[in-house]
Order: sequence, then C-alpha cells, then structure tokens
Amino acid sequence: MEVMHDVVVVGAGCAGMRAAIEAFDAGADVAMISKIHPVRSHSGAAEGGINAALGNASEDDPEKHAFDTVKGSDYLGDQDAIEILCQEAPDDVYQLEHWGAVFSRTPDGRIAQRPFGAAGEPRTAYAADITGHVLIHVLYEQVLKRDIPTYEEYFAWKLVVDDGRCQGVIAWDLLRGGLQSIGAKTVILATGGAGRLYTGTTNAYACTGDGMAMALRAGVALKDMEMMQFHPTTLAPTGVLITEGCRGEGAYLLNAKAERFLVRYAPNAMELASRDVISRAEQTEIDEGRGLNGNVMLDLRHLGAERILERLHGTRELSMTFAGVDPIYEPIPVRPGAHYHMGGVDTDVWGQTSLPGLYAAGEVACVSVHGANRLGGNALMETITYGKRVGRHASEWALANTTVEVPAAVEADAERELKALLDRTAGERPWQIRDELAETMHVNFGVFRREEQMLEQGAIVQSLRERYESVVVEDKGEVFNSDLTQALELGFLLELAECMVVSGIARKESRGAHARPYDYPNRDDEKYLRHTLVTWKDGAVQLDWKPVTMTKWQPQERTY
Amino acid sequence: MALKIWRYDAVKGERALEEYEVDAPDWATLLDVLDIVKDRHDGTLAYRKSCRMMICGSCGMRMDGAAVLACKTRMVDIAESGHVPVISAMGNMPIVKDLVVDMNPFWGKIRAVQPWLEPGYSDPGEKEHIVSQERMDTIHKESLCIMCGCCVSECNSMEADPDFLGPAALAKGMRFVGDARDRATVERLQSYSEEHGIWDCTRCYFCQERCPKGVDPRDAIAKLGAEAMREGIDSDMGARHAKWFVTSAKTTGWLRETELVPKTQGIAKSMKEVTFAMGLLKHGKVPPPFPPHVAKHVDEARALYDIVKQEGAQGAAGIVQSEHALARLEFVHESGAEERDPYGPDSFPEPLPPGEGAGQ
Repeated sequence: MEVMHDVVVVGAGCAGMRAAIEAFDAGADVAMISKIHPVRSHSGAAEGGINAALGNASEDDPEKHAFDTVKGSDYLGDQDAIEILCQEAPDDVYQLEHWGAVFSRTPDGRIAQRPFGAAGEPRTAYAADITGHVLIHVLYEQVLKRDIPTYEEYFAWKLVVDDGRCQGVIAWDLLRGGLQSIGAKTVILATGGAGRLYTGTTNAYACTGDGMAMALRAGVALKDMEMMQFHPTTLAPTGVLITEGCRGEGAYLLNAKAERFLVRYAPNAMELASRDVISRAEQTEIDEGRGLNGNVMLDLRHLGAERILERLHGTRELSMTFAGVDPIYEPIPVRPGAHYHMGGVDTDVWGQTSLPGLYAAGEVACVSVHGANRLGGNALMETITYGKRVGRHASEWALANTTVEVPAAVEADAERELKALLDRTAGERPWQIRDELAETMHVNFGVFRREEQMLEQGAIVQSLRERYESVVVEDKGEVFNSDLTQALELGFLLELAECMVVSGIARKESRGAHARPYDYPNRDDEKYLRHTLVTWKDGAVQLDWKPVTMTKWQPQERTY
Repeated sequence: MALKIWRYDAVKGERALEEYEVDAPDWATLLDVLDIVKDRHDGTLAYRKSCRMMICGSCGMRMDGAAVLACKTRMVDIAESGHVPVISAMGNMPIVKDLVVDMNPFWGKIRAVQPWLEPGYSDPGEKEHIVSQERMDTIHKESLCIMCGCCVSECNSMEADPDFLGPAALAKGMRFVGDARDRATVERLQSYSEEHGIWDCTRCYFCQERCPKGVDPRDAIAKLGAEAMREGIDSDMGARHAKWFVTSAKTTGWLRETELVPKTQGIAKSMKEVTFAMGLLKHGKVPPPFPPHVAKHVDEARALYDIVKQEGAQGAAGIVQSEHALARLEFVHESGAEERDPYGPDSFPEPLPPGEGAGQ
C-alpha cells in the first residue's frame, strides 16, 4: 500500500464531489479517484434541473414533493429515504446557490423553477438547460477551494476487502500505467450508472457501471437492477439527450399525424406525465405505425424563438448538430433511450452498504429514492443530498476508526490477473462483444419486456461472458492504455447485464420502468411490492427480495 | 472515408503520420470515426472521450491545424469532398500519447485565478441571494465554458509566453468578476492585471474563433480590462497603452505615436528607445511630436467619444462584444433575411388539438 486516506471517494461527479466536500469539512483526510477529470463527469450532461420544494413559483412543500416521488416510483421507492431527500433538498439547493451556482432567476430575483414531469408543482430549479454543467463546475470550484487531492485519470478496478471491511481501492494509473493501491478507512462509490449497456443511451462512454460491479464482486448486494429508465426524448441514432425541460416549457409530443397522442395515455398530465408512461406511449405509437422513421416529434415551434434561445439554447445546439434540425422551425425527432438506472448498490439512508466501510451515493446507489421510475430533476437532487449525507457518515466512521490494511496478497492477485489479461495475444478484441451486448439489451430488455426475450437475453449474456474470458487487449503499453480500461469496463457491464436479466425475469408484474404488457400487464402489490436483491456467488447471480419501507403512503392506482 | 492521424509514442519519443481508411455512417462525427479506427484498425490509438454531446470537454483536438471538439465535428461533408483531414493533438500542451495532451498546465492556470465565489460573508442567510436575471446574464457566456482547452491550444500569446494565464482561465476569472455575489473583485482584477495576465493578450481572436461553446474568451478578457480600469487598476503597460489610445483619439483625432511609448512604458524606460526612435525619425517614419498634429475632422472623433460617455456604460458593460453566444449557429432574423414560417407549406403540420384526429 503506497498511500492512505481516511475517506476515498471513487468517482468525481456531483455525488462524489459533494461527498468529498462534506468529508473534508468534517475534518477527514479525503481524496477522490476518477477515471476522467472531475468536470468531465456525466453529471455535467444533466440538463433540465434539480427538484426542491423552494416554493418560488407556487405554493409548495416537501411533503408534496415526497408524494409525487412516491407515486412516480410506482410505490417501489423507500418512503423514509424519499422523505429525507425532499426535506433536506431546499437547504441543499440554497447551499449550491451560496457557493455560486448560476441558477436562472424569477422576475423578483429568486431561483427560477419550472414544471417537470409528474410533479404537482413547478419545482425544478434550473440553469437554462445546462443545470448539470453549472452544478458540476460549482462543485469543482469548491473542491479547488479546499484543495482536495484527486487521483485524476485513475481507473478504479477492485475494492480491497480485508477482515470483513472495505479498506481501499486498487486502481490503474491511466497516464503513467501501473496498478496502485490506495488504502482508506471508508470508501464511497460515486461512479454513476451503466447506460453503456444499451446502444441508444443518453449516457457517456464513461457510464459503465464500474462501482456497481466492483461492489458486486466484493459480495455486496445490488437492488432493483431491472429498473432501467428510458428517457422519452433522445436523438437517433446514438441517444443524445433532449431535456424534459422542453416539455416543462410547454413543448408538444406529436405522432406522424401531428396528433398530441398522449391524450390517449395520460389525458390530464399530457406531456408532463412520468417518463415511464411517456416512453411506453411513444413506443406504442412507433410500434403501431404512427411514428416517423422510428421517432415521434417534439414540437417547440409555438414557444417562439426568444424563449427557445433564452432557456433552451443547449437543446437547440444539440438538435442542430446531431439531428440537423432547428427547433425554432421544425419539430425534433425523438425516441426513448436508456437514461438512468434506478437500481444499484443496496444502501441505507446514510449510504452504508452491507460491507462495513463501503458506501455508495448517486446513481450507483439504490437507497431507494426512485423505486421503479425516477422523476426528472430528482437525480441531481439525490446526488447533492445523499452525497452530503454519505460524505458525513463515511467521514465520521473513518475518524472514529483507525487501522487500514491492504494485504500484499490482494495486490499480488490483482497484478497477476492484470498480467494474464495483458499477456494474452491471440483471441477476440472486446468491441464486438460490447456492441452485441448493447444491441441485444436494447432489443430484448428495453421499454417493453417479454419473458422469452429476457430468457434469450440471459443466454446471450452467458455466451458473451464466455467469449469475454479469452478477450485480447491489443495495446500492451503503459501510457494512456484506454484499450485496457475499455476491456475492463466491458467485464463490469457483462456482469451487470446478467443481474438485470435475472431480476427482470423474477419480477412477474408491470411496475414503473419494468413493463411486461404481454404476460403481466398489471402491478401486483401483493407479491411484488418489494425490491429484488442480487448477489454474486460462485460465478452466478443469486436472487433475493427485500421489503419496501412505507411511512405514510399506501399504494394507489397510478394515473396521470 | 480517409483520415490521417499524427501518432505519438511517448516511450520512444517518435511521431508518425498514419493514414486510415474506414467505413463510417453518414451521421458520424470525428469522434465516431476515431472509435471505428480504434475498434477495427488499431487498438493502440489514444484519445479522450466521454459524453459525445459537447458538454464534458474531453475530446478537444486539432483537425487540419485548428482546434475542434471531435464529438461536435460532423464528417460527411469532408468525406464527400474527398479531402483527407489531418488529426493531431491540441497545441500549447505537451503530448502524452497520440491525441492525448497533458492538461496539468491548463488546470494549473485555472487554479491560479482562484476560481471560486468569495461571497464576503460568514452567514449566508437562510435563502438564496436575490439577483436579477439581467445581472446573471452578464456572466452567461463565461459560465458556458466546458474547459476543453481548444482556446488555449490556439492561443498565440501562450505560444510566446507559456506563463500567460490564457483565455480559459481569464474567462473563468471574468465569470467571478462579473458575478454580483462576488466580493473579491478588486483583488481579482489586481491579480489578473499582473504580468502574464489580462494585458498580455495579443487580441488575435483565435480563442474566440475556435471556442466550440460560444464563450468568447477574448471578449471576457476585454471585459476584465475594462473592469480593471474602472477600478483604477491601470499601472500595467497594457492598461496605460489602452488609456493613451483614448486620450490621443479624443484630443487629436488620431494616434500620437511619439507619445505612446513614454505614456505606456514611462519616461525612464522609453529613454532606452530614443536611439531607435531617432532612427525612425531620420527615415521620416515619425511625425514631429510638437506641435501635435490634429486631424482635420477631429470633431467626429470627439463626438464619438461623447456618445460613448453619454451611453454611460461602465466597465464590462461598455465592451462591444461579438456575436451573442451560440448565435453563430445561424439564426435568421437579421434585416433582409427572409422570414421563415415554422408552419409553412413545407413544414411539419401544425399540431391537432388534443382528442382530434383518427387515433387508433
């Protein structure tokens, strides 16, 4: 072990940086490890906003926010976790503003808030349509102010587990090459999602589920892994995100006949229904032949040039660059795309996992705030509020406990495993496996799910995992070997795909993002008002269940 | 399509220009093409990437000598023209491998401008600061910066003086100087006005030209200069130089070059230039300083000066900026341009009212 800290945060997006700041302010020696520079993190691509009941645009309170979130989650969210989020959200947003976040403003100079999907009040605070960008930069500014050390471009690969505790991380130094073990009294995973499991995804290339897979390999359970959210407005062919803020500002969704088709699916909320509802509606329109080249149309024309230029300039830039469409004059062709993993590492409301010393925050975690369907604007809020809480708890624990041990045998094992991979010279390179995985997941585990397709996907993932066993890394060098790290990422993704398929087959109902219209079209609270829980044992997935925490809201029929 | 890539092997210290021929779909960006090269042709190719939607700032590089974001650069037109573009690493930063540069010098300069809000209070109060949208808008362009490094790559001043703070860091500085909530404006302006700061920019506008996000870093530097002078922070030669331009234009209607040197560098320093000046004088390159030559239409220059004064725009607000951020994505509302009807005969039809239409 070459270096040691009280707290090590893996990942430096919004959750990671917020956790590191909190740990630093609590007096801990904290460091961050990130495979990309902090401001490159995918939190920065969040566009529409962050939900907090500030009440700047209407009468609002945390309880309304909590109810909307519970209902949005299709009652699979843990209500204690949701209440904490909604209670602490307003102060956490004010904190961001005091740090300098460049929020858009109301006419009286307060933080502006816009309507968002499935929210009863205009609750989404925003910075035009670059809210994530603004937040990631303000958090990075605070990291610089505190001079929090960051292992930049270090690829975290393995958790160090010794004596029944997580005691550090083994990482590959991308710029210089070589493995380095970084000891820590507590480790916080903040590595984000795994959208790269799909071809059409809003997620960055970096979103390969590293933290989920590392936790799984360390014996920690993953929760609700079948719950992958499909965002209703992404651009063909690769899935670039067009913000829900468009619909918050009043945009229409039209089919090929120029009908606002949501009248048949969500007659009250229309374009501001929840994401799962709208993605299913779009997919139905497309499947039944009322789409346009596999898309529906997002129409902003009636908003007018001024409003589009002021509040949706980033959206305009994206649609002009990637779809060749100026939304001032033409509707944007959009379709559902993989966007956000509600599932993840099973934690309590302080981010603790079942492994002492290991924590998780943000998209990598499943507290669960989002249940079966996340509301737009709640993800950024979760990164901030739970990033803060987890940073606090992890630093308190670290400051109260003293020893760290990274056994030499653990380091030696990692070196050996890596050498075996790099020494292999004959075999298949990873990219074909990666592409096949993403294409088949999109077809067989997408917006709508069929039993036989999920079973087929299980078999496909199995065979891809077998092929992966003999995969070859072409680049044998030490300096910036992204060929190596991309191969390691694919190993993470393959295991997560298996977890998702097993969980999906087990949940024999339709709830939130998990839609089985052909065999189990309804929600079944009697049997499935509970979380799926998967662990990795002897090279295979083991399934278990966990009850949902209810505080004040009993399940009701969910319509918008 | 074909493209050439400058490869660099850090261990051997060797550079080589290699050509690749790949099949790419019509929608491919430069980043997509690099991915195809890495997957199907050469796994050792190194470049940075992440979001592929112009917000993370990872994939700055050069195409045919000019900095671009690879994910923003569509290749179809280039491919169809038959041109073979040359891809290389960004400039002004050491190359680590192939298209990957060492960004540490870049981040060091960002740190050097103290890039965090100094709100000047200990108790922030329970709610947010009250700031008008109009006031926030003054730092709109600067807050769009994704720190990709394209501006720094192209910076001519930095090529001459590697210690120059550079366009990205100075734009970040303006993001705080222009922020109504910041209370360290004077300290910031003093520090940014030192050597290697605001006044070392040569105004070549390459940063402004090449910024993929419309941050307009040169405008930010001009705004910093104007704010510094408003605060009376004008002891730097660059500031004195700018001030003399104004005085000179106002009094004589043109540039009094003979006085420019002493006014900018001070009497003592400019004594060293006397021999040089005498040489110029001998060849008729310098008008005699006394009496000052006054332009025939000096009234016009003075009137112009008065108009600017009457406008009352102080500091940064007085800087005439180039196109509004992102306006370079053509927006036709200029005079003479034909008004385009979003609901014209060739457009997608106007939405039917909900409930109308054939449905299923």
